[in-house]
Amino acid sequence: MPAGDDVIEQEIRIAAPPEAVFPFFTDPDKMRRWKGIDHKVDAQPGGIYRVNIDGTHVARGEYVEVSPPHRVTFTWGWEDDGNPVPPGSSTVEITLTPDGDDTIVRLVHRGLPLQAVAPHAVGWRHYLSRLAIAGGGGDPGPDLGPA
Amino acid sequence: MDAALRAIAEPHRREILRLVSEDELAAGEIASHFELSRPAVSQHLRVLVEAGLLESRRDATRIIYRARPEGLDELREYLEVFWATGLRRLKRAVERDMEDSERASRR
Repeated sequence: MPAGDDVIEQEIRIAAPPEAVFPFFTDPDKMRRWKGIDHKVDAQPGGIYRVNIDGTHVARGEYVEVSPPHRVTFTWGWEDDGNPVPPGSSTVEITLTPDGDDTIVRLVHRGLPLQAVAPHAVGWRHYLSRLAIAGGGGDPGPDLGPA
Repeated sequence: MDAALRAIAEPHRREILRLVSEDELAAGEIASHFELSRPAVSQHLRVLVEAGLLESRRDATRIIYRARPEGLDELREYLEVFWATGLRRLKRAVERDMEDSERASRR
């Protein structure tokens, strides 16, 4: 498996400057137009980020960084009981980069439990990296096992 | 998907998945790692199987369990679709705003 299995990364190009895109992550009236049905947000570091997605699932976290118009970061999880991604457990970073008249919106969602059932993947990575060193004629050194 | 999410939320079940990710194990071997009653362990195993995170086979009188790692691919897929759909909606909402303001400024 590639590095960063517990990360989801996505990008989209939007025909608008970052200044026009940014409020869609911080202003409840604008957020409503693309995600969720009910919003309680206080867009400042430590402020709440709570989005009722569909009446059943509620995403909740806190804003970590609010730097208009280029960057907004918030923690993220589901409020539902027993959810493996509880509020605050993962982090969503949004970066807005101007490109001509457009904005590239990049979303990186980290800290997800996507590897909870595959710790052996760590072992494979360890051995594949040793193999790569050895295959290149190097000496990977004594095998101390996967970190 | 909700079944898999709920299944891995429970610490004992995460521990079971860790145990069987290295090697397949019989139900008794799994139970010996826990200070839980056998029925409680069986219940956890059943939840994991139903959530698609574990698969079992019968070996004579024993039931052998092993991890089904593709089960969590569903969480990844779920979130990828969740954000991809969201970003497409975001794009539409922002671009509609831009068109509206351009139209207004032409007036």
